[in-house]
Amino acid sequence: MRITWRPAAAGPFVAAGLATLLLVVSLAAGRDDEGFLNGRQLRLMAPAAPGGGWDQTAREMQAALRDEAGRTEVYNVAGAGGTIGLSQFVRFERDPTQLMVMGLVMVGAIESNDSPVALDRTTPLARLLTDYEVIVVPADSPVRSMDDLVTLMKDDVGKVSWAGGSAGGIEQILAGLVTDAIGANPADVNYVAHSGGGEALSTLLSGRATVGVSGVSELVGQIRAGTIRPIAVSSPQRLPTLPDVPTLKEQKVDVELANWRGVVAPSGIGAEEERELEDLLMRMTRTEAWQETLQRRGWLDASLAGPQFDRYLIDERRTVTDVLKKMGLA
Amino acid sequence: MRPAVTDIEEGRPPPETPEVAHAEARAAGALGVLMVVGAVVVLVDAARLRDSDEALGPAAAPTLVGVLLGVIGGALALQSRRFLRTPPAGRRSLWRLAALVAVLVAFALLLPVMGYVVSSAGLFVGAALLLGAPHPARVVAYGWTLAVVVFLIFDVLIGLSLPTGPWGF
Amino acid sequence: MGDLLSGFADALTPENLLWAFIGVTIGTAVGVLPGIGPALTVALLLPVTFRLEPAAALIMFAGIYYGGMYGGSTTSILLNTPGESASVATALEGNKMARAGRGAAALATAALGSFVAGTIGTIALSVAAPVVADLAVNFGPPEYVALMAVAFVTVSALLGPSLLKGAASLVIGATIGLVGIDTQTGQARLAFGLPSLFDGIDVVIVVVALFALGETFAHLVAGTGDSRVTPLRGQPMLSREDFRRSWPAWLRGTALGFPIGSLPAGGADVPTFLSYSLEKRLSKHREQFGRGAIEGVAGPEAANNAAAAGVLVPLLTIGLPTSATAAVILTAFQSYGLQPGPQLFSESGDLVWALIASLYIGNVLLLVLNLPLARAWVRLLTIPAYGIYAGVLVFACLGAFAAGGTIADLLVLTVLGLIGLLMREAGVPVAPAVVGLILAPLAEQQLRRALALSEGDWSVLVSSPLTVVLWVVVALALIAPPVLARRRRRVSRTREETSSTH
Repeated sequence: MRITWRPAAAGPFVAAGLATLLLVVSLAAGRDDEGFLNGRQLRLMAPAAPGGGWDQTAREMQAALRDEAGRTEVYNVAGAGGTIGLSQFVRFERDPTQLMVMGLVMVGAIESNDSPVALDRTTPLARLLTDYEVIVVPADSPVRSMDDLVTLMKDDVGKVSWAGGSAGGIEQILAGLVTDAIGANPADVNYVAHSGGGEALSTLLSGRATVGVSGVSELVGQIRAGTIRPIAVSSPQRLPTLPDVPTLKEQKVDVELANWRGVVAPSGIGAEEERELEDLLMRMTRTEAWQETLQRRGWLDASLAGPQFDRYLIDERRTVTDVLKKMGLA
Repeated sequence: MRPAVTDIEEGRPPPETPEVAHAEARAAGALGVLMVVGAVVVLVDAARLRDSDEALGPAAAPTLVGVLLGVIGGALALQSRRFLRTPPAGRRSLWRLAALVAVLVAFALLLPVMGYVVSSAGLFVGAALLLGAPHPARVVAYGWTLAVVVFLIFDVLIGLSLPTGPWGF
Repeated sequence: MGDLLSGFADALTPENLLWAFIGVTIGTAVGVLPGIGPALTVALLLPVTFRLEPAAALIMFAGIYYGGMYGGSTTSILLNTPGESASVATALEGNKMARAGRGAAALATAALGSFVAGTIGTIALSVAAPVVADLAVNFGPPEYVALMAVAFVTVSALLGPSLLKGAASLVIGATIGLVGIDTQTGQARLAFGLPSLFDGIDVVIVVVALFALGETFAHLVAGTGDSRVTPLRGQPMLSREDFRRSWPAWLRGTALGFPIGSLPAGGADVPTFLSYSLEKRLSKHREQFGRGAIEGVAGPEAANNAAAAGVLVPLLTIGLPTSATAAVILTAFQSYGLQPGPQLFSESGDLVWALIASLYIGNVLLLVLNLPLARAWVRLLTIPAYGIYAGVLVFACLGAFAAGGTIADLLVLTVLGLIGLLMREAGVPVAPAVVGLILAPLAEQQLRRALALSEGDWSVLVSSPLTVVLWVVVALALIAPPVLARRRRRVSRTREETSSTH
């Protein structure tokens, strides 16, 4: 039997060989052993689609962690206020290299979606940053301050329509808290949900809704241009980005709400591993790269780790569940 | 008897052969039955929803869609009911379809375990062979090359994290 | 004008031209792959581009964005596997043309139409953006309800020859659209307690399943795995007749695409469906529709690209992202410290004008890249079907996995692919399902929002002059076709009579 060399038939095999070689070389080049936890790479889940707040946080963390923990891998599992990602994340029990970005929105979504898994099946590590909410009205609205709005609401809560993000999300929670604080029934809030801040803004600009609620960083451009008027921010003190806008508390509405974001690890990890991860995150928040990121994105530093964060999480959960129950959403 | 189809404008060109028309009508009947079943599911699901104080609640749209699904599905099934009793032909093609579905399901299940490159190469090889490719060895080479190139571009270059197996790819 | 010229000066540096070229190449490549669109690509490249100058990064993103719109038509036409909803209408006639060996003509009219529409759209963007934005913000929920009604009554052309089967497809799509958490009340519908279904089924997954998987399964069942299409030889890519029929369609597609694209909830898919319907209504070659009418490719493809330019209007002038890609570009803006909104032009004007100038440049680069490629792409069809569709499956699964990141998405993809096969076997067209999937949830949301804002008062639906105009259009669209059809019949009869007297 003679073996004949036919280039055309050998082509695919040569290509496969070359591709494999390239793959092996690129993997060998990309590996660095200085990673965290004996060289094991950290994997960070952003439980939302690329482009959203959690995704941005995860990808900024990836950049800031480069010096502290080597290459970190970020991946997205989109949907349902992060509860889809959470339901996958709880399967990583006892694996300290798996982390997930989360925040107040997830706390609310777990309640309002009747999610089968909750955050108690994770190990909370740290809160990293916050963004605050701003209540706005169209530029030609007769409402000028919280007082005007409260008067309207006391007259008839249902007549005041709120445009904001998804049902059970932070904007609806804020609407519920404000209504509760002025002594009206949160179940009567006329909340019109949208799939995002942009859509809610378009409804507000069309002049059909009384007030709009959205994250400060999303609305700063509109506010500066004067197409909408801010009447209150949900922070404890006035914000550096909007120094002229009074807080809710200044206007005698006792509500404070932070759209904070943090990181959790799977349940069942060792106490030592937990401390090491918390240290890593706290070191990250002190890096120049991270501080520069906060500045650029307009986020506020809110680093908090250890038992304080555990307690904070329990408090937040109670507040959120309480108001969602009153609104008939949980 | 002519089935009561509301043809618009120029009408449908007649199917080439009676067998084709027969197979099409049987498929339409099956789809119709499936739609009626779907309608029941949609309506039951809609009835379960908590009502809100909106003028149109969360159940309004599903109810409308469910009714339409049932009516249109029923019409499709009725139209082709006389074809449903005859036995279908072409067992072999259905066997191949089942095999490809099995390959797809296997791909989904093996992806997290075996990693992207191996599973995708397997998917390519399985699909190509079932579609009737000659030269299995060459198909394996093509499938492997494609999977590796996709992995290199999307995972290594762009940064879309694809699942990896114990061997790192 | 001076701003735009200095924008050109910024964008035309050799380095930025290189980034524009890289952008359009990547964009075309990812647009061609079913299921992987420009949104995902830009999002993934965002961290990579951090080290670039803002202008260079934005110019590259603009290239990816327009490139993705161009590339989307290629697989729709050649393989009947659109990767996103805006390419579905192109597949209808384009794939029929490709099967008849006229793939090069279809690709050429798509590329030229994209160029014409992209250029006109970019001009409109640079001249009229603030005006259009002022009009667009008047669109509230009641206006959208009326617009959805217009869309519903005009899409009948997409339903295919049998009204019953077309309607079946439309309702199947609407049913898929119901899956997921209801926006207004937060309750899950048709999710059966599965968290993977809480967020609904991604449009990309449905499109890829119904078209790409359906097509693959159909080849498998029919045993046509070794078939291939031979392109017609010795023909000019675009004959004089083709060109004569294409250019009015390009202009009409642009006229539909740009304004609807610039609405805050308009998007790029609705105008492509409307354009297809319009072309079918107006064509003198109606009998060719469903068998490869070139107008049916030219119109939707132009509408798609004009809408892509339109989508940038609310993004740049109000800071409203109205499509997935726009949302990602907004993120990119913010990470460079730019705040899109009414003040963007005055605060960071030079960057914006460089971006707009690079859109013009990207358009030219794309035409240069794609027109010669049309013939090369057609050669793809000489690969036997088993090779092509095995590859399509690999990319479809990659796209589905990338869209949601869960294994469940792959199972949903398979199930919907089987439904697509059954529809195909039953002679039920799959395009209306995509229409139903997009329009039905939008109509439901906007209607419920309108009623919530008016506290249940239905008269809100006709509460502005704009809504009244749109409802009149609905009435005309319902009344006009039968009247026109009768008149046409009468005219042809009289013509026959006169010709018989000779």
